[in-house]
Amino acid sequence: MIQAETSIWRGGLSGSLCLAVVSFRRLFRSRQTIVSAMLLGFAVMVALAWSIRRGRAPEEFITQILIPVYTAFLLPIFCLCYATASIAGDREEQTLTYLLVSPLPRPLIYLAKYCSSLSLSLLWTMGGLILLCQIAGDPGRQTLAVVWPAVLASSLAYVGLFHLFGVMFRRATIVGFAYALFLENLVGSMPGIVKRVAISFYTECAIFDSAAMFGLGPAGHHDEAMYLPVSAATAMSALCLIAGLTLLVGILFFSRHEYAETS
Amino acid sequence: MSETPSLSTFRRVSKWYGAVIALNDVSFALRPGITGLVGPNGAGKSTLIKLLTGQLRPSLGEVRVQDVSAWTAAARSHIGYCPDADAFYEEMTGRAFVRFMARLRGYRRRDAHERSEAALQQVEMTDRADRKLGSYSKGMRQRIKLAQAIVHDPDVVVLDEPMNGVDPVGRAQLVRVFRQLADAGKAILISSHILDEMDTLADQVMFICRGRMLASGTLEEIREMLEDHPLKVRIDAKSPRELAGRMLRMDAVRGVQLESPQSLLLEVERPVEFFPALAQLAAEDDYEIERLEVVDASTEAVFDYLLRQAGQ
Repeated sequence: MIQAETSIWRGGLSGSLCLAVVSFRRLFRSRQTIVSAMLLGFAVMVALAWSIRRGRAPEEFITQILIPVYTAFLLPIFCLCYATASIAGDREEQTLTYLLVSPLPRPLIYLAKYCSSLSLSLLWTMGGLILLCQIAGDPGRQTLAVVWPAVLASSLAYVGLFHLFGVMFRRATIVGFAYALFLENLVGSMPGIVKRVAISFYTECAIFDSAAMFGLGPAGHHDEAMYLPVSAATAMSALCLIAGLTLLVGILFFSRHEYAETS
Repeated sequence: MSETPSLSTFRRVSKWYGAVIALNDVSFALRPGITGLVGPNGAGKSTLIKLLTGQLRPSLGEVRVQDVSAWTAAARSHIGYCPDADAFYEEMTGRAFVRFMARLRGYRRRDAHERSEAALQQVEMTDRADRKLGSYSKGMRQRIKLAQAIVHDPDVVVLDEPMNGVDPVGRAQLVRVFRQLADAGKAILISSHILDEMDTLADQVMFICRGRMLASGTLEEIREMLEDHPLKVRIDAKSPRELAGRMLRMDAVRGVQLESPQSLLLEVERPVEFFPALAQLAAEDDYEIERLEVVDASTEAVFDYLLRQAGQ
């Protein structure tokens, strides 16, 4: 029995690797890529227009482009596009049943799907960040050097959360979209500690605190007493914790959940 | 009942979704050969199949495949499943899809290639497997679904409405494949609404309605079990009117209808009593019975009867 279990996990590793590659390819060739490319194209045009005026400071780039255009909007949308489509897409297309009846252990199916959507999301989030910072010129390049860890951690947190949505909700993309646009922005802009449930709050705190050398301080241009910022270290820890917890909850949920509607 | 060991067992399995009971205290053993699963929409067929393929867990009871719980990955390695839904990775070719399914089952690239080619050959799709799945006809798609279900040589093959949309020639080919698999010692469970095909295809039939197993066994066994099941018998004779008069005097005959000048349709209550009595009558008197036919000895007739019984 133990030998059989071992061989299932060994075969499962090779199967899940194949699943991750196929999922990556399918997601990359999906309409999500077209949407992401269009949104990034729009952000590039904004960054180009911003960069026309010379003599701008990194602090201006962060408060005028990076936070409002990139981390508050593009970053969650990039992650949403791929993370919710990963398992929820199979569910909607009724192809999830092929995966569920295969001998692949369910945690490996979840991890394979997670890896494919994470790698594509990171390609867009980190690639988009680098592109925008390069277009913005010197202020952008100075910003890139200090904010990339915050963007990376934020991407991990969003992908983990939206992937969890993908296994929990039948219309995960709609739920994720509503969450990203309304709940994150609404809760993230509330005064006091309520905003501490929003990923965007920790992303901003990590960026502001990392960019203290540009005069942004811990709270950017917000009133510190109202904004109640956390340190970059705390914000990064919170983002990593969210990423890890959502991944763990997602694996457990997917491993135990019965998908009665798959075929 | 066959003495061959069971490849899968349901032991007092019940499954409910909230307050709705989908399957109610179902027990059976799946043995090598073809078993038909018949029931109307909402009878619990899909739930039974999902429990067997490890997509659902029973609320009560136990489902085992090769003596391990059907919910485990180990059990799923013994199961091949051809779903009812016409869903594929449409952008793939048939060959790539079957190969991908073999890879998911843990086969290395070369083994997956060999397995998928063997499965494609078995469903007679080798020469058409390089086309995109999106361009396939319904029958070709069903064959690819069957190929992916048997690519890993499973012990139990579960086919959910496999004949849907397949033309008669394609059906005959699929039936041949099912028979080959059954002859190779596999347990084949076929869920279908096409009852006529079950008559010739299935070694055993399970009737399910409202989550309950109404009957299971060969059609003959079921008929024996249902002693009070009225049977319709057509008799062609030279003098049917006289014969009708004699028939009406028999206790086992419930009704007689003159179908044509040469043909009688009898409604028989107790076949076990009726046939010997008819043989004696034919021997004693010269009615010149030219033809004797049991007209409703089909799965559909038994099924209709069972449904009526279940509704009462």
